[in-house]
Amino acid sequence: MLVMGEVRTGLLQNSGEIPESLCQSVLGLLSGERVRVSRRPIVYAVSPDQLTGVDCRLASASQARVRGVGTVLSRASVTGGRVLQGSSHIQVVRSESDHRLSWSHYLARPGVVEVFGKIRVPDLSEGFAESARNDCLDLGSVSERFMDAVQASPFLDRKAPFRSARTRLRWVAESGPTGSGGAESGPTGSGGAESGPTGSGGAESGRAGGGARTPEGTGIRFTLGRDQVRTLRLVLPGGFSPGIVDFCEDLALHDWLLTTLLVIVEKARVGTASRAEVTAKLAPAVDHLLHLWMPAARLDDAFAPFWETLERRPGFSRQWHSLVERVRDQVAINTLALLRETGGW
Amino acid sequence: MTPAYATFGEVAAERRIASAPLSHVSIELGHLYMEDFQAGPDRLREQFRQVAPWAETMRRSWQSRVPGGRARVSTCFLIDDYFSRFSTPAELVPMVLEAAAECDLTIDYLARESACAEADGVMLARLVEDRLVTDPPAGSDGSRPPVTETGWLCNGTRSPYSGAVQAMGSARRWEPPAQNAKRRHSIFVDVELWDTDSRGRTWSCPFLAAVWQLLRLGLIRNEGELPVRPKPRGASFPSEWDDLPAIVQLNPAAAPFSAYSTLSVLSSRFLPVELAVRTILSQVFVDAQVLGQVADRSGGEGIRLPDELVDRISYVFLGA
Amino acid sequence: MLVFAISDKGGTGRSVTSSNIVYRRALQGSDVCYLDFDFGSPTAGAIFSVSSVARGTTQGGMHGYLEGRLADPHRIDIWAESDREGLRAKPPGAGQMVLFPGDEGGGEFSTVSEEMLQRCVRLFARLEEEFDLCLVDLSAGRSFAAQMALAATARLPGVPFRWLVFHRWTRQHIIAADGLVRGRQGLLAVGVEHGHDKETLGDRIRFVRTAVLEPDAAELEGLRETQKAWLNECDRELRELAGRHRVGRTSMLGKIPLDPVLQWREQLISDEDVLSSQIANAETVAAFDDLAKKIVDDSAWEAL
Ligand SMILES: Nc1ncnc2c1ncn2[C@@H]1O[C@H](COP(=O)(O)OP(=O)(O)O)[C@@H](O)[C@H]1O
Ligand SMILES: [Mg+2]
Repeated sequence: MLVMGEVRTGLLQNSGEIPESLCQSVLGLLSGERVRVSRRPIVYAVSPDQLTGVDCRLASASQARVRGVGTVLSRASVTGGRVLQGSSHIQVVRSESDHRLSWSHYLARPGVVEVFGKIRVPDLSEGFAESARNDCLDLGSVSERFMDAVQASPFLDRKAPFRSARTRLRWVAESGPTGSGGAESGPTGSGGAESGPTGSGGAESGRAGGGARTPEGTGIRFTLGRDQVRTLRLVLPGGFSPGIVDFCEDLALHDWLLTTLLVIVEKARVGTASRAEVTAKLAPAVDHLLHLWMPAARLDDAFAPFWETLERRPGFSRQWHSLVERVRDQVAINTLALLRETGGW
Repeated sequence: MTPAYATFGEVAAERRIASAPLSHVSIELGHLYMEDFQAGPDRLREQFRQVAPWAETMRRSWQSRVPGGRARVSTCFLIDDYFSRFSTPAELVPMVLEAAAECDLTIDYLARESACAEADGVMLARLVEDRLVTDPPAGSDGSRPPVTETGWLCNGTRSPYSGAVQAMGSARRWEPPAQNAKRRHSIFVDVELWDTDSRGRTWSCPFLAAVWQLLRLGLIRNEGELPVRPKPRGASFPSEWDDLPAIVQLNPAAAPFSAYSTLSVLSSRFLPVELAVRTILSQVFVDAQVLGQVADRSGGEGIRLPDELVDRISYVFLGA
Repeated sequence: MLVFAISDKGGTGRSVTSSNIVYRRALQGSDVCYLDFDFGSPTAGAIFSVSSVARGTTQGGMHGYLEGRLADPHRIDIWAESDREGLRAKPPGAGQMVLFPGDEGGGEFSTVSEEMLQRCVRLFARLEEEFDLCLVDLSAGRSFAAQMALAATARLPGVPFRWLVFHRWTRQHIIAADGLVRGRQGLLAVGVEHGHDKETLGDRIRFVRTAVLEPDAAELEGLRETQKAWLNECDRELRELAGRHRVGRTSMLGKIPLDPVLQWREQLISDEDVLSSQIANAETVAAFDDLAKKIVDDSAWEAL
């Protein structure tokens, strides 16, 4: 098994969070198909699946020319009426033909990209995770287009409470040596998916990549790259399950929350700016972000160990909770100080 | 923090997809346009006479495939009330039925062409248009939106035209169009899906014919429901086309309207139309769950259907 | 917010002033970006002292993006990539400052295709999500860049936008600036063609005077009385002319004094240039700072 995808995450361009009923309208990208909603523990709405045809090179670490033809499966989702995600993925399989077949052949296999010739899993997964070559398969752009379609909805007022950058999580999942990888997929050792933490190239210190290998032959490695790019590499037992996509989207969501909150806190200039200014800068976080943290809320049990690994290192929730405390403390202290100044206390 | 074990699996509005009753084959006995009607009942009789042996052959073929020869075969007939309106159902339908009966043909279902655009409040043509996934030319890496000429669909790459160029940029020479799945040489097809005028959008004949094939294959759903269900015929036929149901069941004992496969017996003047229909259908994405239902049903009867939609469609083209 | 910078003529100081506004706004704590839409002459990199893109980028910039050759146009973090030492450390509290350069060797477009327009709309919408201020530096005069800006903003009703029309303080420039806005095939006329409301669009346009030499400026101290009198008379006439052409005080957002540094070199003026090396005038920086605030200050944009 070799599955790859890219999730882009950003703030829904609306002044407040949108109610469930509006989720139906903004995510209704396909007529005749309902938007699905789950309400517990947080409202999560997801668009119908969308397909995009591709016929292009796949990035490979060895720069080998690998051509793939097929369809990308995408969807857009809104969590808590506030955070928008565009998510696309493909399963890579070997083509049984040596030339391109009629398009209906590929349409009958949604989300599958067929590659001509032998598939070297480590080469492709490495290539996809590490590079963003211009002429190779670009799942991120596909995801962004569906996000754009949602953001352009006339039901949104575009008056977002704060500016924020979209984050990019590129992920690859492959079968472990014990899994049913098929004859093609060879050993996965060189991919390094089981190696320890890798250094962070990003500016945000204190959040390096995390990785570990669990005893059952699974592995996870999360790397924080430059700008808004993150990569995630998974080694799983068994074949593809839709739970993989859910897991990656969930991780991308929480990584975005953390990234965005860090930026807000940094910009608030605690200790330098006036109390009123600090409070004003932190207010949007309190109003719009703090209640959204619910890692692994909708996930398959099979993926719980992955979250636990990430909680140990880099320690998402630890960092989040300490930030949240800082925000709450600041707002409380500043409010008290203001009250005192105005003689109200 | 929520412990990772305590996952919640609740998904409200879980997808529910209605399944369509299915015959083995749906045979289209004819397609009536204004000009055929104007040519008079003899023309119609002549058509049916030619169609009858082919319909019979298809019926036999399925009877021999199915245990006990219990093949479910339904027949249908399409009348154009979309591009031009002529006569009335009250006058026309009995004439058609009579001509068919003279050739020992039974028309099980009668459909109006405009039903392929909109039926019972459902914009069928829009539903299908939204499900077009364009056949990507080599080099489509997802970074750009699929190349579309609004209202057109092709099977390859169009000849580049000189769109926006930069001042003092280099000029472009003519290049030929190319078919994506070509074998050395191209057969490039570019199909007009619709056009617009002051009255709004008019769907093209091939596009409606593509919808018609999908309906007959039982592959269209609207919010999980079957968008059109055949209605039994009344005692008489109405005097307005709009009062005629989208699909009328003429034969109470008929096998289901939709089927695993279809056969259309047509005049060879429809050959280009059907090439266009196949160009469209090979780029329509049908819901995987719906396809799964059909595959399960047919598999349960020991019938293996081709994966690709266009391979479930057969034609007989008749000379003049 | 989108801010479009335009001038009827080249060489007015549009790019230099816009760049400095962007810089000041970043120092004031906003996240800002600068889009080089001067397609015929993509040289914004030089002003920001990013020598690798002084004549545009080779990695795919605005031209390549709008033509659909790439999905992500080259973006340059000025705080990290500028060659100027003084710019390379982002001061605490400052916002992001990003440059989107044009392509090296890129030229004016000969038309705006629907696809290009859609890409432009998508770009504006995405950047507006991320930046408080997106300054779009357009080609001089009536251009496809300006047409695209008008068409794109008409399709983004929820996105606030404003226009700055730069001109020098001379007869020809005053008349030309008025013509660019209100003349035949001017911004208002073309805007209406693309679906803008004339009144509303008009309320979103302000003028900026560049390289202004006030008659009482220190530079003119040594002049003879007759020369001073003549200058004063010219200035009075220009003010009257500006008033008649509705380019006067009420529709002016700001004016930038003539600065010796800018006269010699297109660059950002840092506080250091004023305070330690003292090569630039404090008034110039004050004017940039003021303009940077007024751009986003609604009270400066109340209907006229
Ligand atoms: N306030 C100013 N004082 C003096 N010179 C200026 C001033 N503003 C701009 N200039 C100079 O005017 C010239 C043209 O400016 P530029 O920004 O390139 O114009 P444009 O973008 O309108 O073509 C440049 O040499 C620039 O340094
Ligand atoms: Mg310039």
